[in-house]
Amino acid sequence: MSGYSGSEPLSRTAALDANASGRAAPVSQSHRLRSGGLIDRQSPLQFSFDGKTMTGYAGDTLASALVANGVKLVARSFKYHRPRGIMTAGSEEPSALVEMRTGARREPNTRATTAELYDRLMANSQNRWPSLRRDFMSINSLLAPIFVAGFYYKTFMWPAKFWETVYEPMIRRAAGLGKSAELPDPDHYDKAWAHCDVLVVGGGSAGLSAALAAGRAGARVILCEEDSRVGGRLLSDGGDIDGMHAADWLRRATDELASLPNVRVMTRTALFGVYDGGVYAALERVNDHVAVPGPHQVRQRVWRIVARRSVVTAGAIERPIVFPGNDRPGVMMASAVRTYVNRFAAMPGRRVALFTNNDDGWRTVEAIQRAGGEIAAVVDPRGRAPAKYQAVAGLRDVRVLTGGVSDVKRGVDGVRSIVVTGRNGLTQQIEADCLAVSGGWNPNVGLSCFHRGKPVWRDAIAAFVPGDAPRGMTTAGAANGEFSLGACLRDGHAAGVAAAAECGAAGNAGEAAEACDDIYAISPLWQVKAKGKAFVDFQHDVTASDVTLAQREGFESVEHLKRYTTLGMATDQGKTSNVNGLAIMAEATGRTIPETGTTIYRPPYAPVAIGALAGHHRDENFHAWRLTPSHHWAAELGAVFVDTGLWKRAQWYPKPGEKDWLESVTREVLSVRNSVGFCDVSTLGKVDVLGPDAGTFLDRVYINTFSSLAVGKARYGLMLREDGIVMDDGTTSRLAEDHYFLTTTTAKAGPVMQHLEFCRQVLWPDLDVQLTSATDQWAQFSIAGPKTRDLLQAVIEPSEDLSNEGFPFMGAREVKLRGGIVARLFRISFSGEMAFEMSVPACYGEALARNLMIAGKPFGVTPYGTEALGVMRIEKGHVAGPELNGTTTADDLGLGKMMSKKKDFIGRVMAGREALTAPNRQVVVGVKPVDPVRRLRSGAHVVPKGVIPGPETDQGYVTSVCFSPVLAQWIGLALVERGRGRFGEIVRIHDPLRSEDYEAEICNPVFYDPEGVRQRG
Amino acid sequence: MVDYLWNAQSPLQKELVAGRHGVTAGQAGVTLTEIRGIMLVQVMARRGKAVETAKAAKKLFGVEPPSTPKAVIGKIATLIWSGPDQFLAFAARSADSQFGKLAEVFAGIASLSDQSDGRCLSQISGPRAREALAKFSSLDLDDTMFPPGATATSSVDHTPVNIWRDANGADGEAVFNLLVFTSFADSLWKTIVASALEYGLEASSAHAE
Repeated sequence: MSGYSGSEPLSRTAALDANASGRAAPVSQSHRLRSGGLIDRQSPLQFSFDGKTMTGYAGDTLASALVANGVKLVARSFKYHRPRGIMTAGSEEPSALVEMRTGARREPNTRATTAELYDRLMANSQNRWPSLRRDFMSINSLLAPIFVAGFYYKTFMWPAKFWETVYEPMIRRAAGLGKSAELPDPDHYDKAWAHCDVLVVGGGSAGLSAALAAGRAGARVILCEEDSRVGGRLLSDGGDIDGMHAADWLRRATDELASLPNVRVMTRTALFGVYDGGVYAALERVNDHVAVPGPHQVRQRVWRIVARRSVVTAGAIERPIVFPGNDRPGVMMASAVRTYVNRFAAMPGRRVALFTNNDDGWRTVEAIQRAGGEIAAVVDPRGRAPAKYQAVAGLRDVRVLTGGVSDVKRGVDGVRSIVVTGRNGLTQQIEADCLAVSGGWNPNVGLSCFHRGKPVWRDAIAAFVPGDAPRGMTTAGAANGEFSLGACLRDGHAAGVAAAAECGAAGNAGEAAEACDDIYAISPLWQVKAKGKAFVDFQHDVTASDVTLAQREGFESVEHLKRYTTLGMATDQGKTSNVNGLAIMAEATGRTIPETGTTIYRPPYAPVAIGALAGHHRDENFHAWRLTPSHHWAAELGAVFVDTGLWKRAQWYPKPGEKDWLESVTREVLSVRNSVGFCDVSTLGKVDVLGPDAGTFLDRVYINTFSSLAVGKARYGLMLREDGIVMDDGTTSRLAEDHYFLTTTTAKAGPVMQHLEFCRQVLWPDLDVQLTSATDQWAQFSIAGPKTRDLLQAVIEPSEDLSNEGFPFMGAREVKLRGGIVARLFRISFSGEMAFEMSVPACYGEALARNLMIAGKPFGVTPYGTEALGVMRIEKGHVAGPELNGTTTADDLGLGKMMSKKKDFIGRVMAGREALTAPNRQVVVGVKPVDPVRRLRSGAHVVPKGVIPGPETDQGYVTSVCFSPVLAQWIGLALVERGRGRFGEIVRIHDPLRSEDYEAEICNPVFYDPEGVRQRG
Repeated sequence: MVDYLWNAQSPLQKELVAGRHGVTAGQAGVTLTEIRGIMLVQVMARRGKAVETAKAAKKLFGVEPPSTPKAVIGKIATLIWSGPDQFLAFAARSADSQFGKLAEVFAGIASLSDQSDGRCLSQISGPRAREALAKFSSLDLDDTMFPPGATATSSVDHTPVNIWRDANGADGEAVFNLLVFTSFADSLWKTIVASALEYGLEASSAHAE
């Protein structure tokens, strides 16, 4: 690796003449300088662009390798399909977007300027057909007069039914950039957290200075740099620091940072978001610079960085000037030209014209001349070279023109000549194969504005600088509007010292490095008005005339301008275009730029792949899951699992020969009704309610009374929300004077626990009650059916009395099991059969399932899943989730009588509101189709017989349905207006979603054993 | 008469595959061990009985329960802070455990809830353990912020966990204990393994000591 800037002059005949025709296939690396640059000439890399094989070197980006190979045309634009080249050398690139990789790894819209070259890299141009050179869709350019701002809004208005069927597919085909992969992404992505005192964002001169200062002071520092190496503009523009070459200083600085154990430098890491509480988000491109990540390596990683302070040293972005032809391939930002020449030893052109309105642009002259290139002319509206450059030897031969560039003529592959219109209106044409442009620099204010801080206009640099930065953030260096190297180093150092001190790190931060303070003078020039398309937003093809058209049509507000023209809405978020757009709007409206204002800055600062945000959470790992204690045993039996919340529950257990789920479920139900079956109900929420006031606590939480519950007994309880609507139900048992065991539904376990904790900690802190979730501690099985007692007697110690007298309905107590463990046994029934629930410590859950199978073998014991559970509860008229749906009261559910009148409880007062006690409320009833073979479906509407269905006639809907094996027909529960007084009435069931319409009878919701004989048996 | 066997099953019976995973070259960057056979009791002081609870704990365990997020090692158990006026008493499961005395010692002054099967304990160590942990834990596990004995009630994959740091291992590396709800163990184990593959992972199980 050789030096940074100061490439040796190359012989003009050798390298640059090879591609003179412009049409011939580029000779490999025809535009590569013979020496210099931060590239490793010992590591040549082969790559292809649009199928053409070329070579580059390690250290290249795809863009620099293309430049080195003389490639200028790399893309077609979004709307007009205009030929586009490479404009910048950084992440702000709006034009050189390519499709990288192939197959499942194909990635559209990759900025060639940030894609590091690797061996066998495959890139293709996009948005063209049949080829980049002959793009059929460039006909759009001829239709340009109708593709103006607001085109979609104006054109595709009517008829409305065409929106989705005609217009959208048409627009999508015509527009868009590149195609995403259609296969699942084969790579791994990660998310990770990092913590520090001081986060430094950007590793240029100011950032390095800040990191050194904060690191030396003893703060924990993270420095993020989006590039593959730190250095920022030092890598391209060099300079002298502390009396040494920038390259040497950079080496020292990076060595020192590496030696500090409290400093972590993260390259290839772009900060893209700033969030509350000092949380920052960054994307690390861990393995984007190789073809395929190594085994078990991740492709990209999203970092959430928690920092007490941050110093944003994100630099500045050079601003284009708006003039006709400013999008031609070969028109490039002046700073990018210097980057390609100095950092990558690649010449963007052999005869370079420069169009600049500021002193910084003039650096380009020296860079080109030193590399052996020719300066065709310098166009500076100010008309003369800045004082500093007048003395430079090579400048004497350079033509300096006043005025501005008013057109760019192009050949097939890019710039051929430029047209300069002087202040006197006279034009002249100058031959050049590259036009370097500098309209000044925009400090990177984005990150500092993410919390709605408004940037502030600074006239001296004709740009916005950060205003109110988010809490804990300071900005320094070019990002803060300091454009000289000396000022960047000082500013960064001071910010680093201050940030470290605020974190309590006050060690010796050393002195700021010193460098000269170049004068940066600018004479604002936003636009050269002349005939032809002059682009403001290159990625979205928004021109100067689109901006003025928006103004004429009344879209003057910057937010309206943005949406009407799509200015700044592309993947580059207007990094090169926003300020120019504002300037043109300001002029059109006779306001200043700060008066015109800026649009709101929002994350992400740079594009982030959704895959990276997802990390490992994709496919079956989309979210965490919960397994019941008998899960693996059920899987062995071939159970079909269903996701209920996070739980995976056995839905049914198919047996060989069964043709569908209904057959399996019907068998399971009949087995329970006729003999015995069991079901894992461990998913029910379980809470230990402990302490002397546990009973009082439950009295206030439930609508019914629990303080009077005897030890050894269970009771069904219903709790309301504060607004009087039912929250949840479940049985709660009293295991000891000061110990209740509360159960919830599976779905509401979390919310109920939260609610109980809220009641305990906030509402009644005086109550002596303690709560712990015990859901995961216990494996719980429901064992149901007429043979339940026989089965249990086989597995429970014979000394335990399970008779109706010894263990009555709603009894709850510990029992000893054969083989030495203790279980809790509850005599409760959801199925309507004689049933018990047994719980054992979770580690014995699987053993319990196996032992129930052994004990129940003589009775043909059948494991059943959630479907059979649902069928039996519907047959029995028990309400569940579909009825406890957040709109029903206790009375709606038929449980109004449970509401105690002797005590207060949560929801009591609000439940008494007029609307909640209205006589016409929809209440739970049973429903069965008149035609016994008709299938009932939930969601269907209930309307009176003979009326036309509609919102005015609607009287409710079917909530739960099942095929009842006992009744041999479909039955359901429904919420129906005044339903309890309508048993026997025939109503109309209207199901517009499924185009069904039929009659059904309203009936008692308890279809099965309404007297409850079986469960008490 | 049928013999009923009551084999205790780990929730990781399927997901834990002992041995080397991920990158195979060199030393494993992360070691992940399920600690089986634990006893865990949630001890919650009753209203106004925090002082008595601490005294009773001191008598039984020889140490006062931590009043800040810390884990302290006592005679027969490690006491792990789990919230204001509450802690987890943790020990290896054994026939002669003194845990039976808990109900007696804390009668009337603290409420107890047995969580021995409600949680699953894993231990994470190795030179790259912190890097792997950073992928699923938002905690700052730097020595300065999370020294041995530090503990936190936190979350992984939106799931509550208790994390505490043990004394460093024989190799000088930090050792982190992760206590998760049993039903989530299978899922979270997979998350931990996925986070460690790029560093090389050695997975195993061991009985609590």
